[in-house]
Amino acid sequence: MRKILIVDDELDVRDSVKCVLNLAGYEVLTCDNATDALELLGRTPMDLVITDIIMPKMNGVQAIQAIRSEFPLVRIVAISGGGNFGAVGYQPAAIATNAYLKSAEEAGAHVVLTKPFEVADLLQAVETLLGVGHA
Amino acid sequence: MVRLRTSFANYVTLWVVAVHIILLPALFFGMGYVIRKSHENLFVEHARTFARVVAEEFEVGAALDSRQRTEDLLDLAVLHGEALYAELYDRGVATRSRLGSADILSPRHTDLGFGQGGDGIYFIVLPIVHAGHNAELRLGFDELPAQERIHLALRRMLWLLGGYLGIAIGIAIVLSYRLSRPIHRLQDVSRVIATGDYARVLNISTGIRELHDLASDLEAMRRELVGVIKAKEQSEARRDELQRQLRHRQRLETVGTLASGIAHEFNNVLVPIILFTSTVLQDVSLAGASRSHLERVLGAARRAKDVVKKILTFTRELDEARLALIDLRVVVTEGLNLFSALAPPSIEIRTEIAEEIPLVKADATLALHLVINLCTNAYQAMDGADGVLSIGLRYRDCGDGSLGPQPCVELWVSDTGHGMEPDTLERIFEPFFTTRSVGQGTGLGLSVVHGIVESFGASITVETKIGEGTTFRVVFPAVVRVGDEFIAADA
Repeated sequence: MRKILIVDDELDVRDSVKCVLNLAGYEVLTCDNATDALELLGRTPMDLVITDIIMPKMNGVQAIQAIRSEFPLVRIVAISGGGNFGAVGYQPAAIATNAYLKSAEEAGAHVVLTKPFEVADLLQAVETLLGVGHA
Repeated sequence: MVRLRTSFANYVTLWVVAVHIILLPALFFGMGYVIRKSHENLFVEHARTFARVVAEEFEVGAALDSRQRTEDLLDLAVLHGEALYAELYDRGVATRSRLGSADILSPRHTDLGFGQGGDGIYFIVLPIVHAGHNAELRLGFDELPAQERIHLALRRMLWLLGGYLGIAIGIAIVLSYRLSRPIHRLQDVSRVIATGDYARVLNISTGIRELHDLASDLEAMRRELVGVIKAKEQSEARRDELQRQLRHRQRLETVGTLASGIAHEFNNVLVPIILFTSTVLQDVSLAGASRSHLERVLGAARRAKDVVKKILTFTRELDEARLALIDLRVVVTEGLNLFSALAPPSIEIRTEIAEEIPLVKADATLALHLVINLCTNAYQAMDGADGVLSIGLRYRDCGDGSLGPQPCVELWVSDTGHGMEPDTLERIFEPFFTTRSVGQGTGLGLSVVHGIVESFGASITVETKIGEGTTFRVVFPAVVRVGDEFIAADA
């Protein structure tokens, strides 16, 4: 069974994505931050990582770079809903969703998805990366 | 030292009076002396000439031959020579005219001048030689008539000079008032200008060249001042407008930043709603009202997703705008085709599209979105009433002349709706701001328009008048071809 790691600071996002993937037959683990995710990857081999971009401590782009560097065989899906880092105070140039996802792509993400995505979009991305019938 | 000041008219009049007070007595005494001397000399000359004529008559005539003849000649001298006294002294005997005054003492010699002795008589004593013996003719002429003529002449001269003085003062007063009138006008206008009323024109009509030149110079200064003030006002107005635009932009940026943050949170919230609902709906055993309700939850979540997408459009968090060189005429035509199907028949659509316009750098899909949003806004502004919606495209030069021509393409959409109040105008690009009733709009249409315009590097302006309608103008920097390259001009 293919193993998928979900990294997102939002519990509901983690659980809903996990629910969809579990139903699709994947084994799913979750982390609420990128640092823990890298530690977990060191202990447990994963086939695919689904990671948010905007997260406290280490952001998704840094996480993707680290995964690509340390675990080059792991496939990566980046997800983001846009917004500001922290959204505190006035930021004259809000970094746009497409900019986050573009950064994620440049860092090595194989697929990028804009939140909120449909079940079909998620499954298609995962199946494309892991190969149909691998579940 | 205190210097007394008076009006120009009084100043000139006082000077004229002062000059004449000095000049006229001198003139009076000078001319009086001449008149007096003239009369006196005339009198003396007359008396002497007459005396010589009488003396010659005695010398060459027969008047001395008898006393009677002597008296007759002496009487003749008194009668016709205006002599007051006539006497002939011959060999110790004095014969006196019977007509002259008897109480006058015989003189010893001729008076040296008029008025000598203070007796009012001018005496002449002439020696006569007749038939070998000597005699003396003694005549006295009355000085009083001559003195009266002198006094009369002097009085006349005094009146003449007095009249002259009056006329001179009159002319001085009239002239000074005429001269001071344009000065007063200059003064009045200068005071008005000093109070800040620079519109008052210094138009002084005078034949005095210096005053005319002074007025012309002051008018030139006033125009210069008006120009400087107008330039300053324009500069201040431009600064105020730029500050207003900056405040507006900052507010939109702040709202955009806030909306962007909310959108991020909202997207995270929508993920579990969509995924969990979809997962539950995959359960085929779910039926009836439960399935229907969950489908409505999923539908609502997807609509919420669209709303978030619009907010992100406003905040320029668009999907990568695929900017390319496009012909806005094609976009507008396509937009009108789509909009015509939606617009009610009460709206008359007019188009004014230039035949040739340069290309612009924009995303064709977003540009279409822009046109439809502007048309929808215009149609809604007319509240379903009859009206005209105009849409146009034209080429224009956006430069102010300082940096050379700046080619632009202007897209405008205008309506004949109710127009907007200034407070409304200030906020129309803010997301969720709407003047329409609940359910008639989300208030996102114009904020999306603003986001699209910004992503193109274009600019948007609004002109509105209550009761007449509103015009939106979007100005795109045109792309000009330089050699083999297309270069976008700055908007």
